[in-house]
Amino acid sequence: MLKTFKRGVHPPESKYTASDPLSEFETPDRVFVSLAQSAGAPCEPVVKEGDKVKAGTLIGRAKGFVSANVFSSVSGEVKGFVKLPSSNGFKVMHVEIENDFKYETESLPPLLERTPAALLERVKQAGIVGMGGAGFPAHVKLMPKKRVDTLIINGAECEPYITCDYRLMLEKGQEIINGIKYTAQILGVGEAYIGIESNKKDAIKKLAQICPPEIKVVALKSKYPQGAEKQLIYSVTKRVVPAGGLPMDAGCVVVNVHTAYSIARAIDNGEPCYMRAMTVSGDGIEKGGNFWVRGGIPYSFIYEKTRGNIDEEKVKKVIVGGPMMGIAQSSLLPVTGKTCSSLLFLTAKNVNTLKPTQCINCGRCMRGCPMNLNPKAIEENTLADNTDKLKNLDVFSCIECGVCSFACPAKRPLLFAVRLAKKTLKERGIK
Amino acid sequence: MSRYLVSSSPHIASSRTTRNIMLDVIIALMPAVIAMVAIFGFYPLLNTLVCVGFCVLFEFLFNLIRKKEQTVGDLSAIVTGIILGLNLPAVVPIYVPVVGALFAIVIAKMLFGGIGRNFANPAISARIFLLLAWTGVMTSFVAPLDWSNLAENNMFFTVSNVFNIKMPDLVTSATPLAHVKEALELGTNPATGINALDMFLGTIGGSAGEVSALAILIGGIYLLIRRVIDWKIPLVYILSTVIFTAIFYSDTGYVGEYVWTYLLGGGLLFGAFFMATDYATSPKSPVAVIIYGIGLGLLTVIIRKFSSMSEGVSYAILLMNIVTPLLDKIKVKPFGGYPAYKNKDFVDASAIKGRALGVWNSKENMLSDLAKGIEEGGTNG
Repeated sequence: MLKTFKRGVHPPESKYTASDPLSEFETPDRVFVSLAQSAGAPCEPVVKEGDKVKAGTLIGRAKGFVSANVFSSVSGEVKGFVKLPSSNGFKVMHVEIENDFKYETESLPPLLERTPAALLERVKQAGIVGMGGAGFPAHVKLMPKKRVDTLIINGAECEPYITCDYRLMLEKGQEIINGIKYTAQILGVGEAYIGIESNKKDAIKKLAQICPPEIKVVALKSKYPQGAEKQLIYSVTKRVVPAGGLPMDAGCVVVNVHTAYSIARAIDNGEPCYMRAMTVSGDGIEKGGNFWVRGGIPYSFIYEKTRGNIDEEKVKKVIVGGPMMGIAQSSLLPVTGKTCSSLLFLTAKNVNTLKPTQCINCGRCMRGCPMNLNPKAIEENTLADNTDKLKNLDVFSCIECGVCSFACPAKRPLLFAVRLAKKTLKERGIK
Repeated sequence: MSRYLVSSSPHIASSRTTRNIMLDVIIALMPAVIAMVAIFGFYPLLNTLVCVGFCVLFEFLFNLIRKKEQTVGDLSAIVTGIILGLNLPAVVPIYVPVVGALFAIVIAKMLFGGIGRNFANPAISARIFLLLAWTGVMTSFVAPLDWSNLAENNMFFTVSNVFNIKMPDLVTSATPLAHVKEALELGTNPATGINALDMFLGTIGGSAGEVSALAILIGGIYLLIRRVIDWKIPLVYILSTVIFTAIFYSDTGYVGEYVWTYLLGGGLLFGAFFMATDYATSPKSPVAVIIYGIGLGLLTVIIRKFSSMSEGVSYAILLMNIVTPLLDKIKVKPFGGYPAYKNKDFVDASAIKGRALGVWNSKENMLSDLAKGIEEGGTNG
């Protein structure tokens, strides 16, 4: 019996790149490494123009507790600092580095002891963040303020198109297992679960073969949003994270498979986090696939290299992340970073371009909502600016998974309305 | 301006649209339409086509006059038209479907804001309106067509039948439920003279499209497979009708006969699959749906037993439609419960100082911790 959560939807999987092994992506002669690659404060630059750097040289130091170090992704010379738009639309400082194509690397100092504290310090040093896309600094997550007893590794990859975690599980299983062991050691938990959707049978088989007994592979039903933290915790342990709470409130810590992999690399190889696995896909390009991508590569470079012979006009929407929760890009100026799990070049046929029509009251949004909210009522009261009613519709429980908008036959932008509701209520001091 | 489309996530949408949902309903209604033609001939098909045509026309005109965006493309007017046509007796004067379409579309649907905003099912409202306006016409049901003897049958539409507003002369036939009602008053066995197979196939008198249980079940199962309707509504409605029949008729001595005649007779199956499940007028949350279904069953049986009418499905659905906005107010608890400031059980961990593990994973833990704290406090004082 596959484990799962209640409600949810089944978007078309569109995982065209699943059979494509990870290969290293070319790097342009100049990279622009962002100093804000994680949730929290942007980094403080520690290099200046003209400095020689290697791949793995610290170029931005974490400022404050919730922040993560940033490293150069290539060897070469720092050419200066530029403000560029990030993939979420803010202008942030980027370090421009000229690539000498020698790819000399600089490792973190060898780890003398492997106590939980030393391992945690290494995770912090290496600038590891939640690689699933949220970009929350890993060291903060691994220091829960409450006692946790369960570590859950997120290998669900429920978003359509994205296959990089799948390839990682197939190709780097041992490193992932090592990373899980270190993570469990840091947290002091005895058992760990790897949750993988049942559509990735090879990965389930592969990891189950090499897993030690204290790590269990859990086959999950292929359903969206299986990889959402709260839903994954429920699927695996049947525990419910209380509203407004964090996974630690249910005694759990959830870590993405890629994060576990990066932790293992940082501890075993002393390699800081400057490269990641990424899926490039969509009908707007010809040569999509799964790639090891260094930080700081502009999307325009990736597009030029993967485009093939498909007409530029065909690309209707560029999305960083999955099509359900990813961010649509207005230009190809932003660069790759630690949280870029995928870059999709979608055509008009791939994306929804239908005009919203009147709500037919079918209840699909409500029946699909994994948080059991009533998106239709939230939308209605947001549009009517009815704060009193909105207060009681638990808008802050929304995880913004997009199931409501996806399921809506009238194609109403329900999630957008929920976001608006959150903003309105916050502005009015109601939370 | 960006060359790319920029919008809030999600960027993909399911292939379900209002239009293809309505198309699915139309497909699901086809077995009933085919059964109607097989049982009563082409005359009721003409009624249905008139209903459909005028429903679409009235919606079109309404939008035109009110200068609103045209909505006939969503096919919902066609669904209303077919359902209304199937709800009429096999033979009615041609103005009946026209007036029915006017009432269904203009008064019940468009005046309340169009698709999704109507508070009562348009087809049912129109049916009840017609029933009150032309009770005689709406309750004179004809016997099934004898295909072997077409020459003597007037139920084919001929030019004279259609343009002659007068109804063709026909032998009316009592519906099985009228027969059952009679039996109830007399205290006799309700199943005498009724053939279960006839009722299942639909070769009985009744509203043109509601007679064949088989055809309705085929359509209903199609709707369930295509996930157009919530399975709970028909299931709870039919089950509660059966249970309430068994309860209300327990003193008659013919419980079994009442149950199966009530199950197959009248508009129960058609109502349960096609009308009670109407999106705009049925509740959505699981608890509300169950209350709705039970209410439908209870009202149907009460009307069938205690009123002067032999059939109560339309009235039951109309009455429960009116209750739906109230049922929709039933609060559904979000996954993860209510946030801390709304939850009375919540104790702020930081409020108790000096406790390394100021967190409780269960209420028991919390209570025992608090009890310990009180003990400690006691020794200090």
